[in-house]
Amino acid sequence: MSAETVRTIIDDLGALLLFTMILILAAGQIYRAIYAVAAQSLLIAIAAAVLATATGNTDLWVIAGITLTVKTIVLPWVLHRVVRRMNVRREVEPVIPVAATLALAVMVVVMSFHLSATLGPVNQAITGNALPVGIALTLLGVLVMATGKTALNQMVGLFASENGIFFTAMAVTQGMPLIIEIGVILDVILAVLVMAIMVLRVRSTVDADIAGLDRLKG
Amino acid sequence: MTETLLWVLPLVPTVTALLMLTTRDRRILSAIDVCGSAILLALTLVLAREVAKGGPRALGVLRIDDLGLVFLLLLVVLTLAVSIYTVGWLKQAVAVGNMKAESLRSYFALVHLFVATMVVTVLADNLGVLWIAMEGTTITSAVLIGYHGHQHGLEAAWKYIIVTTIGISFGLFGTVLVSAAAAAHGAVGADAMSWSAIMKIAPMLNPGIVRIGFIFVMVGYGTKAGLAPMHLWLPDAHSQAPTPVSALLSGVLIKCAILGIIRFQTIAAAACGPAFPAEVLLVFGLTSVVVATPFILAQNDLKRLLGYHSVEHVGIVALGLGFGGTIGTYGALLHVVNHGVTKALAFFAAGKAIARYGTRDMRVIRGLLAVAPIGATLLMLAALSLAGVPPFSIFVSELMILRAGIGQGHWVAIAIFLAMVVVIFAGLLHHVGAMVFGEPTATASREPEAWSPLLGMMLLAAIMILLGLTIPASIDGLFRRATEIVVG
Repeated sequence: MSAETVRTIIDDLGALLLFTMILILAAGQIYRAIYAVAAQSLLIAIAAAVLATATGNTDLWVIAGITLTVKTIVLPWVLHRVVRRMNVRREVEPVIPVAATLALAVMVVVMSFHLSATLGPVNQAITGNALPVGIALTLLGVLVMATGKTALNQMVGLFASENGIFFTAMAVTQGMPLIIEIGVILDVILAVLVMAIMVLRVRSTVDADIAGLDRLKG
Repeated sequence: MTETLLWVLPLVPTVTALLMLTTRDRRILSAIDVCGSAILLALTLVLAREVAKGGPRALGVLRIDDLGLVFLLLLVVLTLAVSIYTVGWLKQAVAVGNMKAESLRSYFALVHLFVATMVVTVLADNLGVLWIAMEGTTITSAVLIGYHGHQHGLEAAWKYIIVTTIGISFGLFGTVLVSAAAAAHGAVGADAMSWSAIMKIAPMLNPGIVRIGFIFVMVGYGTKAGLAPMHLWLPDAHSQAPTPVSALLSGVLIKCAILGIIRFQTIAAAACGPAFPAEVLLVFGLTSVVVATPFILAQNDLKRLLGYHSVEHVGIVALGLGFGGTIGTYGALLHVVNHGVTKALAFFAAGKAIARYGTRDMRVIRGLLAVAPIGATLLMLAALSLAGVPPFSIFVSELMILRAGIGQGHWVAIAIFLAMVVVIFAGLLHHVGAMVFGEPTATASREPEAWSPLLGMMLLAAIMILLGLTIPASIDGLFRRATEIVVG
């Protein structure tokens, strides 16, 4: 593949990633948000595979494989199970209206592109628009966590943020060392497991959403 | 030989944690706990001697220099003090049902895993490993914070894991950006993430990208360090965790995050000039000191009071690093150690008082001096030191930071800092004075004080008073060399 083709593919994937992010932000039901974040992880895995073929870096193949199994299949499945165990069917009232959230999201995206446009020399070290897309995904993930009131919304936001970081990291010339990437993914898995246990534990003792608890103040 | 020690150090607490799983007996668990911590301390002292003689050592992704050694020594000394304190604390906690006797081994195992992850953050040369270990500390300590299993503990643990995980994912982004800048200058593979390798080419890095990277890292590791306005998790976590864990969180964990910030500060200072990271640190430092003050004054919960106090002191450390220069940086590093030791002592003493009165409400705790004279004296000493009274150690480091600020002409920052310190001084002494003196509350337990918590506290009090009166030549040399690494 020529450098130009890779660039185009990465930019297209970046656009799709932003699209999935909008889906997550606008999702009324938690199921949809989980499917959207799984799709987002799938796109990240594809991006890793594309960059692996282009650069001949075998480490990226391993990363693509791990992302596919862990972030596209295992973690969404864990979230899905937690949703079923918690037995929440009702829609979540967003803290701020969806329209306002989306307007905010557009601003974040524009700002990210503007920011990285000022960083000329570094953009050469990163393929295509991976830097602004990565920054936008990370910040939007935080937005999801801030606007969602339920624990599962917050976990989905966390995934989306991590996806943004991974996207940028693999597009940096040569990428992160494999061992570091594996360590980071391992941390994410452990964190999610601990969170899932906490959510279920609170659910079983006080019948409340852990993110809804607000007794500690002052 | 010394290089191998770098890998042995994190293994010691890991093996200790595994050993914990072999038994359920509280006495044996406590014995393993103290032995493991003592071995860790002994090996660290050996390493410290080698580094003092032969300079920094590195093996693979781990590296020890004088800067890391300052934090490592704080970590291992506090770990030993915590282990000694835990012996008596646990006996009492099991007796009143705060800790379940059958799940003790998992508690001990988690504490040592937590220590192991902190050892790796301090020893990490590779910034990616630093991040992984930092997230590791979040996971292990989140379980410990919610260990009591009641609703409030779980709420605090959830807030902690969500806020810090999202916070340090910003840190990872910053790390990626800095390593991208290094990769653009020919650093290959693991070198692009190795702090010592990046430092060699740091002056050539693109200042624009390093600037953004540093801000991301500052927000990220700043969250973990408890700097305002990212400190929201800290008072909850510190107040809900079991007391020995509170001491580790406040004494060591937030300091490990400060070390992460210092590593990136040195890179940023070389790439964009020292003024830029200094400004960022000053803004976060001042915000923390100002934000913490009203909460300290209006606080009724003893452990939350100490938590907000940590926000203030982390702010002071950031101010010292921001004022910079030899004096400011020396003062900041000294303050890291002084605050770590003093705050752990304060948490220990507070934990014993809370157990005696059965509440964390400071309005109920009265007349501690009459029911537990030694514990009350230690609590008072810790409070005096935290408030910045001479001759205790914190007075010395705060004075150094002030002098650095005056030398650099940061008058506004100095004025705000001094005003807040005076207000906090009055507030803290008012709170603690009321608890220590006066008629004891009728509900207060009058049983004699247990020896092991007192021993742990006295160890820390001795260090606190020693560092206030004089700084021994060997420790002074260590701080000077560490300061040189930061200032360059």
